[in-house]
Formats: sequence, C-alpha cells, structure tokens
Amino acid sequence: MISDQASLEVHVSDVTVTYNNGHTALHDASFHLRSGSICALVGVNGSGKSTLFKAIMGFVRPSRGSVTIGGRPVKEAQKKSWVAYVPQSEEVDWTFPVSVWDVVMMGRYGFMNFLRTPRPEDKRLVRESLERVKMWDFRDRQIGELSGGQKKRVFLARALAQGGRVILLDEPFTGVDVKTEAAIIELLRELRAAGHIMLVSTHNLGSVPEFCDQVVLINRTVLASGPTEEVFTQANLALAFGGVLRQFQFDHSTVDDSDGRAVTLLTDDERPVVLGRGGHLEHRLSDEGKQGDES
Amino acid sequence: MIEQLTIPFQYEYMLKAIFVSALIGGVCAFLSCFVTLKGWSLMGDALSHSIVPGVALAVMLGLPFAVGAFFAGLLAAAAMGFVKAKTPIREDATIGIVFTSFFALGLLLISLYPTGFNLRTIVFGNMLGIADFDILQAIVICAIAMTVLLAKWKDLLLFCFDANQARSIGLNTTALHFILLSLLSAVAVAALQAVGACLVVAMLVTPGATAYLLTDRFGRMLGIASTMGVLTSAAGAYASYFLDGSVGGCIVVLQTTLFLLAFAFAPKHGMLASRRASRKAIAATLQEVSA
Ligand SMILES: Nc1ncnc2c1ncn2[C@@H]1O[C@H](COP(=O)(O)OP(=O)(O)OP(=O)(O)O)[C@@H](O)[C@H]1O
Ligand SMILES: [Mg+2]
Repeated sequence: MISDQASLEVHVSDVTVTYNNGHTALHDASFHLRSGSICALVGVNGSGKSTLFKAIMGFVRPSRGSVTIGGRPVKEAQKKSWVAYVPQSEEVDWTFPVSVWDVVMMGRYGFMNFLRTPRPEDKRLVRESLERVKMWDFRDRQIGELSGGQKKRVFLARALAQGGRVILLDEPFTGVDVKTEAAIIELLRELRAAGHIMLVSTHNLGSVPEFCDQVVLINRTVLASGPTEEVFTQANLALAFGGVLRQFQFDHSTVDDSDGRAVTLLTDDERPVVLGRGGHLEHRLSDEGKQGDES
Repeated sequence: MIEQLTIPFQYEYMLKAIFVSALIGGVCAFLSCFVTLKGWSLMGDALSHSIVPGVALAVMLGLPFAVGAFFAGLLAAAAMGFVKAKTPIREDATIGIVFTSFFALGLLLISLYPTGFNLRTIVFGNMLGIADFDILQAIVICAIAMTVLLAKWKDLLLFCFDANQARSIGLNTTALHFILLSLLSAVAVAALQAVGACLVVAMLVTPGATAYLLTDRFGRMLGIASTMGVLTSAAGAYASYFLDGSVGGCIVVLQTTLFLLAFAFAPKHGMLASRRASRKAIAATLQEVSA
C-alpha cells in the first residue's frame, strides 16, 4: 500500500462545471494539493463539494478549466486506479447480495484480467486492507448487516485495496461515533504519512483543525485554500457560510468575565470550531492532543 | 405408469419444446439476477411488449423476426431514456407511455397488414409449434447472451452495485449500461417464443427474486436462479403435455410456486425465519431482563 512512485499532485485549475439544466455549480475553482496531505473541503449545502468531487473523478466534464493528477488528465488517472472514492452512505444499495470481502475485492478490478479473476496478490491486498481497518472478522457479512461506522470502514478498505493515491471521502463522519471517527482519522494520518492525498468533505468543522493540514473553502467557487492555520479563520468561515453558521459569541458571557478571554464558537450543526479573539484558530495542529480546544 | 410418464419424450416436438424452454429459461434466469438488483423489472416488461412492432415489420419485410424485435427493443429503451432525460416525468410513467405506444403500433401494423403471422404467437408464445429456424434463432441468441454474461458478470455486478466505483476505476459504464440493455432486449426476444410477450417479464424476474431470498452472495444467486430457470422451464414444458395447457403458463406457475416456497421457508430472508428470529430475540431480551 505504501506509495511506490514519486510524489503525486492534484491540480485543479479554473474549473467551471455547468450541469445540463444550465446551472453552473462551480466556476473558476483553482487549488492544488501536494502528496502527503489531508485536505478538508468545507462549504454550505449546495456549494459544490460533491460537484468538485465529480470533476476530480471525471464524472462531469468541466466546461472550462482542467483537473490533472500527477500531471495526467483524469481519464488516465482512472485507468491506473489512482483515484479512489469513499461514497456517502445514501449512495449505496445496502440490500445488495455482496459480502464485505466482495466489496473490497471490487477495488482490485482495475488490475485484474478481462474475466476479473483475483490473483493471490489481489487476495493478499484485500486481506491487508480489511485488517488495516479492523474489519477482517466481518469479511463474510452481507454489507447491509453492518453498523454505520463499519460500513464506512469497508469502503475505506476498498479504497486502500485499490491502492488509490488520491482518496476522496464524501462526508465520512456523518453517523459515525467518536471512537470510529478517531479510528478513521488515525488511518487517514497513516495514509498521509505514506504520501497519499485525501480530500474530505465535511460539515464537522470542529475536527477539521485536528487532522487536516489543508483546507479548501468553497461556495460555488474556491473562496480560499491553503494550510489550515492560514485559511481556517473566522473571517474566511464567515465568508464561506454567511449567516448560516450558528455562532455563539462569548465576549459578554460568564466565560469572558471569569478569565477575560474572548472565544467564538462556530458550528455547522456538528462539532463546533472554537476561535479566539480576532477570529484566530485557537487549535494548534500537532500531535500534542487537543488542549486549547476548549476555552 | 412409468411408460405414461415418458410419453412426451416420444414426440420430437415435445423434446424440442423442453430443450428450447430449458435453454431460454436458464439464460433468462441468469439475467434476472441483474434485472431484479438493478430495479429493471418494469423495464423488462416494457421491452418485451415494445418488440412487437419490430416483429411485425421484420415479418413484413421477410427478415428474421429477432432482428426487428431486437432493434425495436433498443429503440424503445432509447426513447425511454430520451423522455426521462428531457422531462421531469417519473420513470414509471415514461415506461408506461413508451411501451404502450410501441405495443399499439405493433397491433396496428399487424391488423393493417395481415401477414399470416399470428398475434397470439407473439402475445402468448407458441412453444409447441416452434419452427426449426426459430429454434436456431433462440440458440444463437442464448449462446451469445450467455457468453457475454459469463465473461462480464463481474463488471455488470459492479455496475449495478456501484456505478460510480465502476467509473472511477476506468470501466466504461455507458457501454455496460448498453450491454445490459441489449442483453435484456435480446433475451426478451428469445423468451417471446417460449412464453409470449405477456409472461416474459416473469422469466426475467421471478428466478432472480427467488434466489435473492435464498442467499446473500451474488455468485450463489446466479447459480440458484439459473438452475431454477432451467428446471422449471423444462418441467413446465413437460407438464404442459399432460395438462394440455399453455407452456408459458406452466413454466410461470411453477416458478411462482418456487418463489412462494422460498418466500415462506427461506432460511434467512423467509417469513418463517424472520418470525423465528424475532421470537428468539424477544425471548433473549426477556431472559436478560429477568436475569
Ligand atoms: N446532476 C445535477 N444536475 C443539475 N444540478 C445539480 C446536479 N447535481 C448538483 N446540482 C446542483 O449543483 C449545486 C451544487 O451541488 P453539490 O451536490 O455539489 O453540493 P454539495 O456542496 O455537495 O452540497 P451538500 O453539502 O448538500 O452535499 C447545487 O445547487 C445542486 O442543486
Ligand atoms: Mg454533497
């Protein structure tokens, strides 16, 4: 699973996507990601997150601009199985008669012969991937007979088995408990260390600074992109979310009275993000743990 | 008694009917696994009716009827796709509109230009009177369909299960969609012979639905469905001799019987099994509570 090639980059330049109905969901979006990064894709509902994913996977053709992966067009990257996708739960038919093992094996199809006969190599990789997400014991279960977090892990295992060097995760934390979330984050960190690029769309603002080193803020175009400390600020979040975010200003609260510090708490309905005076992110991106998270 | 049971085998037309029915039944059943999982049951029904004008035209022009039928089926599928893409009308309504208009056109053609081709044959099938050329036609269709299915069933499975994943690893999903649709169309044409336009959809759905109740693995589902398709079709054709009834009717009634049995007794998804499971669960909870 460890990357066997030199660094891979994702370049999105001036991408404009217009759907058949004439709606331009995304215009002039540009950003780039270097290998070994986890990037959060943050924006309101309908801001074009899924559309951007579709553009990177080659499901929609940009009417303008281009996406390149490792310097190659998306079509070529597909043939090499470079881009793996972890779908949103709602997109999957859970009643389908396939087992966990079958699903993960599907990640290997791109490497198999015409008849898709698994080689020992494929079986080994499937096993490794399942063990890595701690789902090996469930390999014979029908996929619908799993909990929400287990389902997510199976599809993550499929991305691993595929050897996807760019992994797209569409809202991986919805319906997942804290423990599984931590496990998934841990896995993403390992993959980052191995040189993978992960793009994670999420409404879970609070966990963004915890594991994402890059952030792309989006609202029908890229509003800001870059390292988390620089981009994930109150000003930018306000720009991205307008009035949509729930905001609790503690300036005049008892918190403020007691220790004299101003704290802002922003939430897009899931875990809140905590910002200090002037809208600076109070969270330090490191492995020191989460102190500084709470006021 | 034994002698009586072997009587059908003494007639060449019965042997042919049994053989062709089994062949068509098997291929239909194999395909039915994809049809039921993809949610294309209505589509199968629509296609089997839409091929009627193609049959009428082909007969008028002196072409093999399978050719006309196949293209009429594809045309109908294309028309449904077009209406669906261009209007917000719901899919079932689209299917309803397209297939009835095709069927009506077929009726009209047949009534305006009688060609000696019997409408009853199309609507109810005519297995016992099947011509040698039509047998050949059915064999060719089944052979091609089965080859494609056996070679590509894994790709088709991935396409039905997760088209996005199929696309993201570079499979041509448009081609897979077209392949599945063509297979459906072609196999419907073959089945038309056996059971007629009205009952084709049963052969294209019931075995898959039955097998689905019996297993959680797609590979096994294919095996169970095909076996069931072959056996019920052969047995149906055989039984029709004694009942002196329609072959299509016998086959489909047999299949439905098996479906009902699976529905009641399937080890995991059957009605009795789920009732047993829920009783057990309740008992376990009660025990826990009292303990
Ligand atoms: N297939 C489509 N055809 C036409 N318009 C579409 C299509 N898919 C999405 N859109 C429109 O494009 C815009 C962006 O949608 P997109 O799905 O990318 O949003 P999103 O950021 O993923 O939202 P969410 O947070 O709700 O998942 C929306 O206004 C949506 O209505
Ligand atoms: Mg989305």
